[in-house]
Amino acid sequence: MTDSIFSRRYSRRSMLRAGLFGAAGLAAVPAVLEACASSSTSNSGGGKIVIGTFQDNAMVPFRDVFVKRFTSETGIQVQYNETNYDAWYQNSKNDGLHKTGAYDIYVMDDNWVPEFAAGKVIQSLDKLGFHVNSDILPNGLNQGYWPPKTGAKMKDFASATPELYAIVIIDDVEILYYNKDYFPNAPKTWDDIASAAAAKAKAGGPYGWSARGVKGNPIVQTYLPLLNSYGGNFVNDDWSPGFASAAGVGALERLFSFIPYMPTGVAEFDTDQEVQVFLQGNCLALTEYTGLSHQVDDATASKVVGKINMAATPSQEKSGPAIGTFICGVASGAPNPQGAKQFLEWFTSSKVQTDFANTNGSAAVTKSALSDPNITSKYRWLPAIADAVNNSVAKPHTPDEPKMEDILGTRLNEALVQALQQKSGYHSIAQSKLTQAANEITAYLKQQGGYI
Amino acid sequence: MVRGRRASFAAGPYVLLLPAAVALAAVSIYPLAYGVVASVRHYRYGLDVAYAGITNYVQVLQDDTFITALETTAKYVALCVVIETLLGLGLAMLVNRQLRGASLWRIGIILPMTVAPVVVGVMWRLIYASDIGIADPVMGLFGIHDVHVLGSDTTAFLGVVLLDVWEWTPLMFLILLAGLQTLPQEPLEAAVIDGASAIRVFFDHVLPMLRPVLFVAIVLRTIDAIGTFDQIYVLTRGGPGVSTQLFSIYAYNTAFLFTQYGQAMAMVVILLAIVLVLAAIAIRLVRLGPGTR
Repeated sequence: MTDSIFSRRYSRRSMLRAGLFGAAGLAAVPAVLEACASSSTSNSGGGKIVIGTFQDNAMVPFRDVFVKRFTSETGIQVQYNETNYDAWYQNSKNDGLHKTGAYDIYVMDDNWVPEFAAGKVIQSLDKLGFHVNSDILPNGLNQGYWPPKTGAKMKDFASATPELYAIVIIDDVEILYYNKDYFPNAPKTWDDIASAAAAKAKAGGPYGWSARGVKGNPIVQTYLPLLNSYGGNFVNDDWSPGFASAAGVGALERLFSFIPYMPTGVAEFDTDQEVQVFLQGNCLALTEYTGLSHQVDDATASKVVGKINMAATPSQEKSGPAIGTFICGVASGAPNPQGAKQFLEWFTSSKVQTDFANTNGSAAVTKSALSDPNITSKYRWLPAIADAVNNSVAKPHTPDEPKMEDILGTRLNEALVQALQQKSGYHSIAQSKLTQAANEITAYLKQQGGYI
Repeated sequence: MVRGRRASFAAGPYVLLLPAAVALAAVSIYPLAYGVVASVRHYRYGLDVAYAGITNYVQVLQDDTFITALETTAKYVALCVVIETLLGLGLAMLVNRQLRGASLWRIGIILPMTVAPVVVGVMWRLIYASDIGIADPVMGLFGIHDVHVLGSDTTAFLGVVLLDVWEWTPLMFLILLAGLQTLPQEPLEAAVIDGASAIRVFFDHVLPMLRPVLFVAIVLRTIDAIGTFDQIYVLTRGGPGVSTQLFSIYAYNTAFLFTQYGQAMAMVVILLAIVLVLAAIAIRLVRLGPGTR
């Protein structure tokens, strides 16, 4: 009774014995966990699959309607886990790198594919025998190949045959939103928008144009449709930056030409501020991703219900919107890869995609869904999405793309701040900052190796 | 027999300390050691692919953006800590004078530091927003128009400093008020009886006696300010350009956005070394200060 832990004597032998039992117990934990995991699933395509994803409004119909429908049609149980974007990126990468088997399917941003495929975080869908629906729009489908089918390739993968590592599930792409009060027809070129802005915009609103100006990804998303439409490239096929060219400088000068018709604080605007200006009816037009389609007719958030139409982003030489698909890969340590494959084949089938498009006008990935007259009559943005995907230009396929985007986005933001302050000298500002970004990207890629 | 009993008796305290030591090693020493090891590894596609020697350190020290981030952090920390110390001390002196409703003053002053940093970032983003914020209209009342706090390098930097001062002056206030309330009153009363002015009493008696508390407050706040992340990430993402990009934001981006874990850890180790050197200097200065041996 009185032999409490505090009064007990400890010898080296008793310590050693306790330590050995403890170590044996700890060593057995992974084996026990593995046994538990494998007992709940099978490799036959039945059983259960676990889908992990980041939170996004575009995923709501997928989660609330189609995951449940898959279970009712196939009997395969689906566990759906979602978290915020940054946490999910780390979580999925750790799961795949260590093959922990916590997930079968990762929902990803398409710029994760190079890193996840090259690092074997996800497995080849081709090797799993995945059947690709030929109805899927090619530009969306191509986002899932590694190495990429077209464009610049890293040296380590230059001779490798492209394999499908991820399959697109939502074709998110930039489209043009324009207010019909100011544009009777869709503006075709940037010049059309500039003319309307000059004629109809006023200081304090309505503004001719609104944009995301914050450093990094936001301002790059503003710049890319301009750059691509002027015939420029983010990178050329030899990985040399393509934006410090006459086309790239011209595209940035075009953005600066909107300065008299944009809100004066645009350099600090992210999506929320840019979109608010538009939804308050205080802006003629802007380019944004497809999520805005669902807000423009929501009377609780929008003063422009029924006034907004959508089209592919304006052309100069061509239309060239940026694409940023939601894309799914099968985890390298997936407990049920055949079940995962079955789910992805089912969801990307033409019939299910048509139903997906018909659920709140979701950005489906098949041509038939986006052009179905019964659906497009209800959801007017779907043809614009199809058009934009077909014209879209992908960002560089490399794990170093975020760094490249950060460098370009920082210098673009500096250029915009300088242009807003000076209100002149746009050409030299654009030339100087784009050259600086190009030099920094070139130096970074050289340091990383495998490019130039 | 006697020897064995002595050995088992001697092991007792160590056994009792073992859980705490293991916990400390697991949550503190292991991550630090892992970080140091990671700083000499080369990562590609998220994988640890090779030993990198000092390459990561060389690349980091040659990176202009990293050097700029260090400079920005130094300016930010210096400005914030100085302002917060002066304001915190002033407020503590004021509240310490047995004001009416002192407890209400105390609660009111410490409220900002109870708000989560991310929420503070969102709040100040709304305040500074050029379209819907109140900062621009308020400055307009004083004849200062079209400032757009987050729209230029200088104003954005001052804007994030102001945010920090608003949020963390209460911490300095709280520590210094506690310090003031523990000071012996006799020397102060004696000085007043001898005819010393309030300023003389403050500089000759209050400040020297408060010095150890002041030092702890400044060191704590400096270490905390060096790691500032959430508010600025939400407010500016380090922009415009790199004008508010503190070390912590750049290291975070390098690790989790650019997936250069080796370089990110090299940055952290370099900063750790700088902080340790500064801390050692600060401790030595205090030991060598007047009234100490």
